[in-house]
This record gives sequence, C-alpha cells and structure tokens, in this order.
Amino acid sequence: MKFRFEVNPSLCTGCRTCELACAFAHAQNQKPGRSRIYPLAYEPDKYVPVACLQCDDAACVKSCMFDALKRNEVTGAVELDRERCIKCMACVAACPFGCALLDDVQDEIVKCDLCGGNPACATFCPTKALAYKKI
Amino acid sequence: MVHITINGKVIKATEGEMLLSVIRRHGIEIPALCHHEAIEPTGNCRLCMVEITREEWDGWKKHVTSCLYPVEEGLIVSTHTPDVIEIRKTILDLQLANCPDSEVIQKMAEEYGIYKTSYEVVPEGDNCIMCYACTRICEVLGRSAISAVGRGHRKEIAPPFGAEPPDCIGCLACAQICPTDVIPWTDRDNTRTIWDRKFELISCKECGRQTIAREFADYLIEKRNIPREYFEICDNCKRSELARKMGEIVARAQEVAI
Repeated sequence: MKFRFEVNPSLCTGCRTCELACAFAHAQNQKPGRSRIYPLAYEPDKYVPVACLQCDDAACVKSCMFDALKRNEVTGAVELDRERCIKCMACVAACPFGCALLDDVQDEIVKCDLCGGNPACATFCPTKALAYKKI
Repeated sequence: MVHITINGKVIKATEGEMLLSVIRRHGIEIPALCHHEAIEPTGNCRLCMVEITREEWDGWKKHVTSCLYPVEEGLIVSTHTPDVIEIRKTILDLQLANCPDSEVIQKMAEEYGIYKTSYEVVPEGDNCIMCYACTRICEVLGRSAISAVGRGHRKEIAPPFGAEPPDCIGCLACAQICPTDVIPWTDRDNTRTIWDRKFELISCKECGRQTIAREFADYLIEKRNIPREYFEICDNCKRSELARKMGEIVARAQEVAI
C-alpha cells in the first residue's frame, strides 16, 4: 500500500462538505449517490467523520460469497465490483463498523473506494480533517 | 492479449475472456437475461447472439452466444446485423408468448419493435424463462438448495420434492438474480419467507432493525470465520458506535495535550 487515508477528528466541524462531495463524486444517471462518509456527532456539536477503514483482514471481503469485493493494491481501497454483486447484504451485515451501505435510490451496495486514488471528500474538506497521504 | 474486431473496430482483450464482457465493456448494448458476472455462463436465454467470422473463412459466418464464446485472435464480430436482429426478435417473440406479464421482457421486446406476441400465449404460465440463474447462484454459494424438476413443459425450478428446502439459508440470492423476478419472498415481523420456508431475521440489539437471515449469518460465520458479534448490530448502530469510540480517543488525546 502506497497511500493512506487519514482522518483527524479534532479538526472536523461537522460541515458535511465531505458528504456532499462524496454523493456528487459517485453520481450516476444524473442522480447523486449515497454518501460513503458521514460526520457523526459523538457529543452535541462535536463531530467525527465516519468512513470505511479499509481493514487489512476485511470482514466485508470475507463475507462476500461471490468475490465482488477486492482490494485495489495501488490505492489500498477495498473496491466493489458492481457486475458481480447481487445485493445479498452479507457485507452490510458483516462490516464491524457499518461502513458498507445500501443505496436505496440507485439500488446497489456502496462502500468507500477512495475515488480510485483521489478522494473527493479529502479534496473538499475545508479544515483538512480528511487527507490522503503518501506513506 | 488478443486482438478482435467488433463492428469494424479493433479491440484488445485478455485471453480467456468471453465475448459478451468485451462487447459490453466497449459500450455496445446487447440484450441478455441469464448473464451475470458472479455465475458461470450457460447460454440459456440465447439473446446475446452475435455473428462471428474470420478473414480466412472466405465470407462464411456463424452465429454464437457471446456469453459462452471465448475471444480468439483475429475474430471479426458483428453485434447488430439484420440476421442477428431477426434471431433476437424471434427469441423475444417466443419469450413474450411464454411470459406475457414480465415487464423486463415486454420492455426488451418493445426495443426490438415487438408489442404483441405472434404465437399463442402459454396458458397458466409463470414468468420463469428457465435460465437457471437461480440454481447457478445457489451453487456458487455452496448450497444448491433448488434445482430444475420435471420434464418438458412441466419443468420448473423448485426445492427437492416440492417441500421446504433443507439446504436453503434465506439469503435471497436466487430472488435477487432472477431476471424476470418470479421468485416470491416476503419479510414480515422478523420472519423471511422464501420457497415456503420461514427464516428468522436478525434484529439489531440496539435499535431492533432487521438485517439478514440468522441461518445466512451462521453460514458466513462458519464458512468464512467471521466473529458472531459483527452480525448482532445493524450498520447504522455500528457507525454510531464507531463515532463514539473515535470521540473517546479525541477527548483522551486532548486531555493528554492539556
């Protein structure tokens, strides 16, 4: 793995710009997709951005019986092959952090793919709470 | 790497790949009902038919199902010749007689200019086109709970002996993959019903929302060695939990800094 997605929760203001950037970066058929990242409040007015942690021994990859989830060795992201996915919801149920999601508008399973190596959320984050860095 | 010509355009493809995948990857629309990347191709629906030829064949050509035909060096493929369109029209006309209520087939037939079947409609027919996508996906999953039973026009997809399928785990893979949506299932009051068998759905320990069938989770736990506690809570509650834990770390870090 050459890159790492870094989250610095103390800088997050909960402005939800990342959510918007993500939804538009994953738009299909002129419709925004479901955001793969959420700033969630752990205390009133205190937020942390919650997104896929791209686990090394990922439960979503193990749970997929159809090999639809695979790791992209360049970006380090676990990517979903939509052609192989049959929406059995195994990954959604198995992810210990709840970061594989069902997009009911587009009717498909979605998860963070690090935008193929240039995450829109990190680009647009105004406080740099999100960053994609070379390691 | 092999080179093939699709509709006059030279295209590179990986050896062993099937024609349909290559054609679709290059943005050419071909109808297909029984094709899915997760299952082995069987060429049951015949809709992905294309015309192939080679330079040394001297104008001789043949029609093949592209989902089953591996790419070869020097292959010349045409996807929308009048002959191919005629074949697809005939198949769609027959399918429309077989399952007149299926919206998917109606839509496909309309695209090829067929609004009403010219054959006699099959009486008491369902929308099943016998493409075996459901049995194939069940096989990939390692269960094989359903299969084709009977012969001739009585052939249908069913669990063994028409009883509750003992190997079914209620994952809905068969219902999800079915191109014509004929496999009925319901989720009601913590219970999923499919193939007349009832499955308990896991309820989230915190909010009570239903996730997947308990037997499906048990199967994944046993087969793929996933900890059981991962399945007890729904994804929304797991995200909140993650936010709370990260919040704790932030608070601790700030304390240390002060």
